[in-house]
Amino acid sequence: MGTTTPPRTLAEALRARGDESLAGLLRARPDLLNPVPNDITQLATRAGTRASVVRALEHLDRFALQTAEALAVAPDPAPYDILLSLLTGDGLDDGEQRDDVGAAVTAALPGALATLREQALVWGEDERLRLVRTARELLAPSPQHPSPTGLGPTVAEATAGMSPGRLQEILTTAGLHATHDPVSAVAALSALFTDRTRMAELLDTAPVEALSVLDRLVWGPPYGEVTPNPTPPVKWLRDRGLLLPVSTRTVVLPREAALHLRAGRAHRVPEPAPPVVTAAAERDPQAVDRAAAGQAFTALSTVEELLKLWNGGGPAILRAGGLSVRELKRTATALDVTEPIAAFWVELAYAAGLLATDGESDERYAPTPASDEWLDLSAQHRWTHLATAWLPATRVPGLVGGQDAKGRALSALGPELDRSAAPDVRRRVLALFAELPPGTAPDPETLLRRLRWERPLRGSSPSGEGTDLRSRLALWTLNEAELLGITGRGALSSQARALLEEGEETAAAFLAPLLPEPLDHVLLQADLTAVAPGPLERPLAETLSVLADVESKGGATVYRFTPGSVRRALDAGQAAADLHAFLAAHSRTPVPQPLSYLIDDVARRHGHLRIGAASAYVRCDDEAVLNEILADRRSTGLRLRRLAPTVLASQADPGSLLEALREMGYAPAAESAEGDVLITRAGARRTPPRTPPTPVPEGPPVPDDTLLGAAVRAIRAGDTAATVIRKDPAEGGPSSTTSSGSLPRTTSAETLATVQAAAMTGTAVWIGYVNAEGAASQRVIAPVRVEGGFVTAYDHTADEVRTFALHRITGVAELAEDGKG
Amino acid sequence: MTGPLIVQSDKTLLLEVDHELADACRRVIAPFAELERAPEHIHTYRVTPLGLWNARAAGHDAEQVVDALVEYSRYPVPHALLVDIAETMARYGRLTLSKHPVHGLVLTSTDRPVLEEILRSKKVQPLVGARLDPDTVAVHPSERGQIKQTLLKLGWPAEDLAGYVDGEAHPIELAEDGWALRPYQRQAVEGFWHGGSGVVVLPCGAGKTLVGAGAMAEAKATTLILVTNTVSARQWKHELVKRTSLTEEEIGEYSGTKKEIRPVTIATYQVLTTRRKGIYPHLELFDSRDWGLVVYDEVHLLPAPVFKFTADLQARRRLGLTATLVREDGRESDVFSLIGPKRFDAPWKEIEAQGYIAPADCVEVRVNLTDSERLAYATAEPEEKYRFCATTATKRKVTEALVRKHQGEQTLVIGQYIDQLDELGEHLDAPVIKGETSNAQREKLFGAFRNGEISVLVVSKVANFSIDLPEATVAIQVSGTFGSRQEEAQRLGRVLRPKADGHEARFYSVVARDTIDQDFAAHRQRFLAEQGYAYRIVDADELLAGN
Repeated sequence: MGTTTPPRTLAEALRARGDESLAGLLRARPDLLNPVPNDITQLATRAGTRASVVRALEHLDRFALQTAEALAVAPDPAPYDILLSLLTGDGLDDGEQRDDVGAAVTAALPGALATLREQALVWGEDERLRLVRTARELLAPSPQHPSPTGLGPTVAEATAGMSPGRLQEILTTAGLHATHDPVSAVAALSALFTDRTRMAELLDTAPVEALSVLDRLVWGPPYGEVTPNPTPPVKWLRDRGLLLPVSTRTVVLPREAALHLRAGRAHRVPEPAPPVVTAAAERDPQAVDRAAAGQAFTALSTVEELLKLWNGGGPAILRAGGLSVRELKRTATALDVTEPIAAFWVELAYAAGLLATDGESDERYAPTPASDEWLDLSAQHRWTHLATAWLPATRVPGLVGGQDAKGRALSALGPELDRSAAPDVRRRVLALFAELPPGTAPDPETLLRRLRWERPLRGSSPSGEGTDLRSRLALWTLNEAELLGITGRGALSSQARALLEEGEETAAAFLAPLLPEPLDHVLLQADLTAVAPGPLERPLAETLSVLADVESKGGATVYRFTPGSVRRALDAGQAAADLHAFLAAHSRTPVPQPLSYLIDDVARRHGHLRIGAASAYVRCDDEAVLNEILADRRSTGLRLRRLAPTVLASQADPGSLLEALREMGYAPAAESAEGDVLITRAGARRTPPRTPPTPVPEGPPVPDDTLLGAAVRAIRAGDTAATVIRKDPAEGGPSSTTSSGSLPRTTSAETLATVQAAAMTGTAVWIGYVNAEGAASQRVIAPVRVEGGFVTAYDHTADEVRTFALHRITGVAELAEDGKG
Repeated sequence: MTGPLIVQSDKTLLLEVDHELADACRRVIAPFAELERAPEHIHTYRVTPLGLWNARAAGHDAEQVVDALVEYSRYPVPHALLVDIAETMARYGRLTLSKHPVHGLVLTSTDRPVLEEILRSKKVQPLVGARLDPDTVAVHPSERGQIKQTLLKLGWPAEDLAGYVDGEAHPIELAEDGWALRPYQRQAVEGFWHGGSGVVVLPCGAGKTLVGAGAMAEAKATTLILVTNTVSARQWKHELVKRTSLTEEEIGEYSGTKKEIRPVTIATYQVLTTRRKGIYPHLELFDSRDWGLVVYDEVHLLPAPVFKFTADLQARRRLGLTATLVREDGRESDVFSLIGPKRFDAPWKEIEAQGYIAPADCVEVRVNLTDSERLAYATAEPEEKYRFCATTATKRKVTEALVRKHQGEQTLVIGQYIDQLDELGEHLDAPVIKGETSNAQREKLFGAFRNGEISVLVVSKVANFSIDLPEATVAIQVSGTFGSRQEEAQRLGRVLRPKADGHEARFYSVVARDTIDQDFAAHRQRFLAEQGYAYRIVDADELLAGN
């Protein structure tokens, strides 16, 4: 800012900055570079966009943020002194214990301002400091976003919609001269609130309860609920503008009044200096290095074991990706660790490129080709490989077993485990470790407090303590660093320090002498165990792990010889003599007699029984014939092998063997599984008893005679009913009906008489009948008897005896004689 | 390479025996780690919660344990393990049982959440009374044992500071005329007396009876001694008369045959656990006198009902004696909570090195079954298989050969199956002691064997425990109770008593090859090898040919 005229806009301020300074801005806010702005104006515009400002604010430490927050509640532009007094207070309250804080703030403020200026969040000279408007909007108090300072709006803002009459009343009650101009009224009120002496006098007259109301609001939130008929103290405050209405039920303490009550401080506790990370324990740096190296060694052997475990194809991949809970559990059991720790090792091997999916159709995890190269590295380089993969990894194994926002379980190696903040937190945690003297184990609580100070906004949750993502990441980092041997007994090891500051090679050089030297011998004991008192050379370890079962792991390995394990070695192609030689060569002590005996005893029985597959055999009591067959060149294609003097086994099937031997001029006979000679005869094969299939005809099945008879009868009867020629019951009678096809109609007396007559003569009559549902039908019936209003009759139509209610019979007609025929 | 100790991830400690610091290391880890295996080069100790609490009870703190591990460990000790040890040890003593002048027995906690936690447990609720203040709760005096057992199961073992009743005084002195307690026996007595109650672990033949006598001489009070069987009871009586100021008349035997209650009473587990109509009629023995001391012989065989009675005896001093804390039923924690923590233990080999028990040469003789025996074995019913292969005729021949080979030496032939033993007795022309042999006859035969009148004795498993046969130099085991490890230890103990001429003891196991007999033998012998007894395997054919 070497120019004479002060800048009027952010763009001008930026333009005035040197190249170095602009580079600093772009380094701090790389998002401004994407894409590269055309000119300074565009850069300034972009620097003022909301997203970019939010991001920049998130990267501020607590004091820079407090400074920005103070600027947001200060007049715009604000001179340096006002800003300073907002942070330190105006010294009119309980000054003495604040002095040191004040001094610290005074010392730290230029630095914080420089940070804000560099990040283009603040511009202008010290006399006219201006917070970028977007930042001001973000940080300034509004009813929707309570300010972190806990301050409310200014008097001017809070009285914006108030009637001039109401303002008048307030002014009068507050003891000010009434004015009709709202602007000067607001100015007068603000002046009263900011004048320490007059304000103090005013408050001295306040009732005690009113002061306690103010106490509740002074450090925020500044809003309070009121009833339409407020209590006298609230009313007293409201009448004097110390509480201004926001809505019908809400009042706010104006900023000026709050600042007076706070002795001018924007923050209750300004935190100009980062919290100190204190030491939980001081340890011998060498002991720390050794412990870390021990853990590094464990890390290497665990990852190696994991690779070995999945060597022949690891667990299958879930459809959603990742390892199933069961597979993780199984892996944890195999590695002898808890599931969260197993998840860490699996993720670490994955991040280091040692494990991956195989891409087959039934996709599984398996070691990568890179893992073979990794295994060939020296132990210290294997470790630096893991450690350098861990440092920048964004995948967070600590999340495994939790749930994502949609309630889906997060699985190891699965999706959704990336947290972009992880490497940043990890680096910061380790950097804080590195700031401590060697051998110092920091207190995790102070470490977390420090991290929260450095990035108060980033990933923090309002509830605070320990639950926000950054704190969780930090705690996971502590655990993982210990597991990986970055730290030992809680303090940063020299090898890790070297890795962070100087690179892999130096770290490897630091680590190498601390790692246990691979051994070439074991101790054999009479209880059939072998103890390797340290790590073994790879070939020795591999042979031994075939020959014996691993019983216990750790600094040493305990192997146990069992008949099963010795058999396994023999199966793997070792001979008993090899095993004896191997043990003798690698044992520091004489091989115990029971162990030698065990090997011999298992070897004695090993391979005693032989199993093989043959598809056919040739049996002959005459050994000479078999000799002949074997000698015959034509038999080579049959791949015959002599199992016993009288038995040959063949890989050819029995049929071809028979054919081939016949061609060679022999007369072989086939043998059944029971050893009987099979006689070949055509059609000798029979099924078990079977019923022939029933044919499936095209139409429905042919009806039987009974059915047919019934059907014919029914058809016939229906036909009769339809076609009979009826006698007119009463020739020319008015109620009679002669038209065939319609129901006969007779009077009930006639009906009764006719039916009774028919019952006596046993002749059939034709009736019209209406059933209970009201459906009318015609029937031919032969009445049997008539009583109680019912006719019992043989119904020709239905071919059964039925009962008809007389009153339902609409009419009756005798059948014509010829019609019956 | 420094440090003789390697800490394993499964919380076992491997101690390299030949290391120059091995002895120093052994001394510092012995209080908190159980010696699990002691073969020739590397001894395995295991760190268990019980072991850590034993150490706490003996006044060691976590700092000492951690320091010991860090100091002697060859490789860095995993931090997590150290943390775990500190946490486990911190669980002991948060709760204490003590006497309250007004409320009697009370349970006090220095850590209120722990008290809240355990009081919430359904198992604890019936055992406690009123809450006296936020940190104290009354305990029914009769539940002193029960609550200790329960709290241990919940992982918060209580320290019992409620003290002991003195019991009825009775003068008892050690009669150290021409002999004296061995240093380790004296340490054991002191360790026990200082701790109040607890278990002393000494190998067979190391003179556990004398530790009992020493404890009685300290208590100078009426004493109840619980032993496994009548023969053992007689032996105790014999030994006490010989080694202390007690006379025959002062010592009573309470067994199936005699029901004497005297100032010092020796009772068998069997008579105590006899049940008639669902009750234990002999239980009142515990209340018949105001005992000042209760001695449990062979704690690892303590039958379950005795644990139940012991729970009611928590106000009396209790001394457990055993060769091994390993219980085949896994009730080690009950021994810890009801009898008391381990107060003393000395590894077998160490005492052997001091010359108090005889060194032994263990030989497994593998017998080939004949073809017909093999066929018969293959077709035997599964439950008969062991009996069949354990009693094959071939074994008899080998046994006879072994007896011939050691002609003139005092030889015991030990077996499981009576038919086999009868047959052997007949062929060897030796008397057989089995369950049906009367006690008088047994003692007569033991006496004759002791005097050298007979040199071969065939015994069944009745002789497994506590008989004292000082001159047995050869033991031949022809069959055993499947794979029982403690039986093997007891049988080896038969020949480990110090010999007059310093002759090396021999312990033969005759085993049928390629049968389950061999599997069981392997299991038993693994135990011996882990105790440091290297054994050889010899083919029976070689042995027979060598003769």
